[in-house]
Amino acid sequence: MKAKSFLRASSLEEAYKLVKESPRNKIVAGGLWLKKGNADVDTLIDLSLLGLEKIEDKKDYVEVGAMVSQRELEKSPLVPEVIREATKAIMGPAFREIATVGGSVYGKYGFSDIITVLLAHHVELVFYPEAVITLDEYVKKPGFYDGILTNIRIFKDKNKAYFKKVEITALDYPILNVAVVKGKEYKVVVGSRPLVAALCENSTKYLNEGGKDFAKAAELAVEELKFGDSIATKSAYRKQLALTYVRRALEEVSK
Amino acid sequence: MKKNFKVVNNLTPSVDGKGLMQGRGVYTDDLAPQGALIVKILRSPHAFARIKSIDVSEAEKYPGVACILTKDNVPHVSFTRAGQGYPEPSPYDKFILDEYVRYVGDEVAAVAAVDEETALAAMKLIKVDYEVLEPVLDFEKAFENKSVIHPEDGIHDMFPIGFEPKKNVAAAYEMEVGNVEEELKKSEVVVEDTFYSQAQAHAMIEPHTCNARLDEHNRLVVYSTTQTPYHMRRIICKTLGLPVDRVRVIKPRVGGGFGGKQAFHGEMFVSLVTLRTNRPAKCVYTREEVFGCSYTRHPMRISLRVGANKDGVINAIDCRTLSDTGAYGEHALTVFMIVGSKVLPLYNKVKAVKFGGKVVYTNHVSAGAYRGYGAIQGNYAVESIIDELAEALHMDPIKLREINSMKEQETSPIFKIMGEGTEGTEMIMESCKLPYCIKRGRELMDWDKKYPVKKVGDHKIRSVGCAIAMQGSGIPFLDMGSCTIKLNDGGSYMVTVGATDIGQGSDTVISQIVAEALQTTMDKVIIYSSDTDLTPYDCGAYASSTTYVSGNAAYNAACKMRERLIKEAAVELKAKPDDVEFDGKVFKAGDKEISLVDLSTGRLYNNDTHQIAVTESYHGHVSPPPFMAAFGEFEFDTETYEYKMIKYVTVTDCGTTINPALAKGQVEGGIIQGYGMASSEAVIYNEKGKLLSNTFDTYHIPTVKEVGELVTEFADSYEPTGPFGAKSVGEIGIDTPPAVLCNAVYNAFGVRIHHLPITPEKIFEAMKEKK
Amino acid sequence: MLVKFNLNGLDVEINVKPGEYLLDTLRNYGVKSVKKGCDGSSCGACTVLVDDKPVLSCSLLTAKVEGHKVMTVESIQDEAAALSECFSREGADQCGFCNAAFALMVHALKKENPHPTDEEIKDYMVGNLCRCTGYQSQQKAIKAFLGGKK
Repeated sequence: MKAKSFLRASSLEEAYKLVKESPRNKIVAGGLWLKKGNADVDTLIDLSLLGLEKIEDKKDYVEVGAMVSQRELEKSPLVPEVIREATKAIMGPAFREIATVGGSVYGKYGFSDIITVLLAHHVELVFYPEAVITLDEYVKKPGFYDGILTNIRIFKDKNKAYFKKVEITALDYPILNVAVVKGKEYKVVVGSRPLVAALCENSTKYLNEGGKDFAKAAELAVEELKFGDSIATKSAYRKQLALTYVRRALEEVSK
Repeated sequence: MKKNFKVVNNLTPSVDGKGLMQGRGVYTDDLAPQGALIVKILRSPHAFARIKSIDVSEAEKYPGVACILTKDNVPHVSFTRAGQGYPEPSPYDKFILDEYVRYVGDEVAAVAAVDEETALAAMKLIKVDYEVLEPVLDFEKAFENKSVIHPEDGIHDMFPIGFEPKKNVAAAYEMEVGNVEEELKKSEVVVEDTFYSQAQAHAMIEPHTCNARLDEHNRLVVYSTTQTPYHMRRIICKTLGLPVDRVRVIKPRVGGGFGGKQAFHGEMFVSLVTLRTNRPAKCVYTREEVFGCSYTRHPMRISLRVGANKDGVINAIDCRTLSDTGAYGEHALTVFMIVGSKVLPLYNKVKAVKFGGKVVYTNHVSAGAYRGYGAIQGNYAVESIIDELAEALHMDPIKLREINSMKEQETSPIFKIMGEGTEGTEMIMESCKLPYCIKRGRELMDWDKKYPVKKVGDHKIRSVGCAIAMQGSGIPFLDMGSCTIKLNDGGSYMVTVGATDIGQGSDTVISQIVAEALQTTMDKVIIYSSDTDLTPYDCGAYASSTTYVSGNAAYNAACKMRERLIKEAAVELKAKPDDVEFDGKVFKAGDKEISLVDLSTGRLYNNDTHQIAVTESYHGHVSPPPFMAAFGEFEFDTETYEYKMIKYVTVTDCGTTINPALAKGQVEGGIIQGYGMASSEAVIYNEKGKLLSNTFDTYHIPTVKEVGELVTEFADSYEPTGPFGAKSVGEIGIDTPPAVLCNAVYNAFGVRIHHLPITPEKIFEAMKEKK
Repeated sequence: MLVKFNLNGLDVEINVKPGEYLLDTLRNYGVKSVKKGCDGSSCGACTVLVDDKPVLSCSLLTAKVEGHKVMTVESIQDEAAALSECFSREGADQCGFCNAAFALMVHALKKENPHPTDEEIKDYMVGNLCRCTGYQSQQKAIKAFLGGKK
């Protein structure tokens, strides 16, 4: 990667000012994707000194700082088990030690496991300058949010949850992932299709209105979502995976 | 059959294990000179094009650029990068840089600059005017295609290999024993099928790396991650027009080769840059270059017809093969012939056998040597169709193999007819414990309880599959290895060998052979490999030759040293050599004795001083095959067809295992590499011929999580022509997984997958078709 | 830019480019035990420890280790030697290119989870590719080294 300078921001204000100054000034989260993308930037802005690497219990929700590493996320007892499990399945520990939760969420990568599992929860994103939006809104909105992601709020809910990542080998991006949560209500999410994760609204609605036929719920999910081809696999097989794992997820969380 | 070994066949730690684990900087790039120019290669964006002109004037002016190589300023001498003995069985169809580029990633120019950033920036300033040509991207359409991939003058074969470049044919071969058509007609059951294998990548973790410098004699010194340093020296000299005595090639520690480092990758460029600039230069391939610009396994289409009687006796096998050598013909003929010569002799009871076909050029990444070397492709096809035959005969597939496969003291007519690019060598199997391997493997797998399939849960079934395999041990009448042993004061031995340890552990194995023959301990043997200035000749690490060929050379040298030592001791003891006994430490004649420590020290400092050293060679006349029986158990999801390996049992006859731990490592490493080819290592090109699966994110080699339980045993076997009874073990492990998995999938679902890799998606598609 | 950190017990100050990654910095500085296998965060051969935690040095900006503690296999020589004995015994010795990274991973695993199950060892080592061994021998060696339970 090429960069003209590296700056450890002393405040969010300073970081934000630099980002606004030029599109060639970039926030570094972990730095993994800047590397993979072989970025060419002016100033790399590091947020390490801003206290964004904490995971805190805030009564109604758990607040995860954007600079929390995937490794810290998976180890924290404050974080719901299914999210920890989904995180653990990403690459190896030496990768997850670098990758940040904020980087994973902000980037809206199609292959993200973290977005899929978070979308099945009630999650809010906190940005600087002051703004709070739900993860669902953020993912649906095209482009990136104008601001610095600082925190991720995972709202607490007594629930049963399921996450499945389908991969070619264990050191691989998913060719499909599925997250289903049954708390006060159902939430069905399918990601890596290869498009970024989406909440299956028809399927979720059917279930929340008392629908009991899980195979049907899986079919609804597959009908309403777009599936595509990638070099790893084609859409027909992705659909078969989604049909199978959404149904199994529902069976699992309803036990 | 000598059996009470002290060092050989004993648990002996690797000579280099500790130092490597501790991180010693001994690999090629660790040894690159400080301040070496960085060489980066400009590569073709087109699958097939002619360079009309290339303008480097801007790039040359870029500050920090030392030298730019293009077709216009390098020697125009055809050669082959294959890294084989001389004359090579591969066509001379490659130029250092050429007017034509023949795959996406082919070399256009090389830029040497003070650092990588500068080299890459300068590269962007090179202006290339291409005439884009119609590429051939489907190997089944390559033969006599209107696009001729090698239209240029100056290319040729070294001896007839069926080279017809105007028809896109790199090599061709036909053979027949008996009359196959007649035997098929007479057979009560005939099965036929066609299988396709992919261009597997070696994916060694250390990338292809080289560097060059001039020494104080102004000789060119090339460090390279090569499997064949002597061949490399010869080819550099011949192609660049240098006398052999002006070049030294050093192979430091190599981080995995698997055949991929038999060839040239950048050595010509760093050599030329150093010769032209008088500066050291280095070239390290990026991972994308390792995948997309080195070379791959030859993808193949193999069509088989097999005829048998109802009692299970196989009468005839017809094997038609089409092989894709990509842009250049490295190993085109030899890999192709191994499909037949190291697979078909397994079924040596046949009355007739036919093998033949063509190796065609395409505009894909070039194919070359890769562990298994045709045998894995052949094994996938043959061992799959044997299961199809078993089903047609309503016979247990293991029984069918037992009836028809090779036994000890038997032979196959194929050995005589087919060698590596030439005629072969008659061989009787002095050691072949294949029947034991099959029987023992069946027990270890608990086959009878598991075959063909069992339900183990909701949506979960487990099935088993089996295959047998053979390989060779070096190339008879071609491969030569040699070994020098020098006695040090203090009674230790300095062993120098040209044999190339590329991670397989040959330094350890050769040290063990020397220690055993000289009745000493491993700490008294110091080994150094391989350096064309300092170590004697060896053909290099390929064709499963090192333990057998180089090991025999080491054995000969050690025996010679023993003889020499006894003679020297006899002088000291004033006795006849025949009366001297030597136990590895002390020489005795009657009541007189002298220790090796005293003798060796005395010879350097006191009486009758001279250096005691011997050099011996070995040149094989046979290539005794190792044999293996393999049994795999897999668990499948009945809805998604995802699967995992539960257990993989192998029983191998490789003669004596010189180092049982390393032999196990060779087998298991081979199995998992073969399993990658069988299961996950898809090779994906886009419609323009660009390789998309060119990183570890897109080309999926097995991780620790894909590996089931590996049960690895060896048959009690002794090969009389091998060093202490050893045969090879480097390649055979890789051969069986494609057929084993293919057969297990059939046993699970009743569908046969004809294209590797066998992904869950392909099973899904086959099941849809079946319904 | 000048970056100060502690490298294998000694404080160092190294001049780096702002966009430079730790793997290149270390190798340029002469620490050759750290290997470049893929330079794309996929193979694990470049693993080092930062503040005792394993990270892929190919993908960590050197500027980010300012003030931190970086360890390579040079810091754990005795442990690496002991692990190598287990590797030899199990037949896990092959090309050795990724072994220093393995040693660092095992060191970190031992600190984090001294008695891992087989599955936990696999989960921890999954990011370290090996094309030579077939993995099982390494797993057995690591288990033997940790004296762990099944």
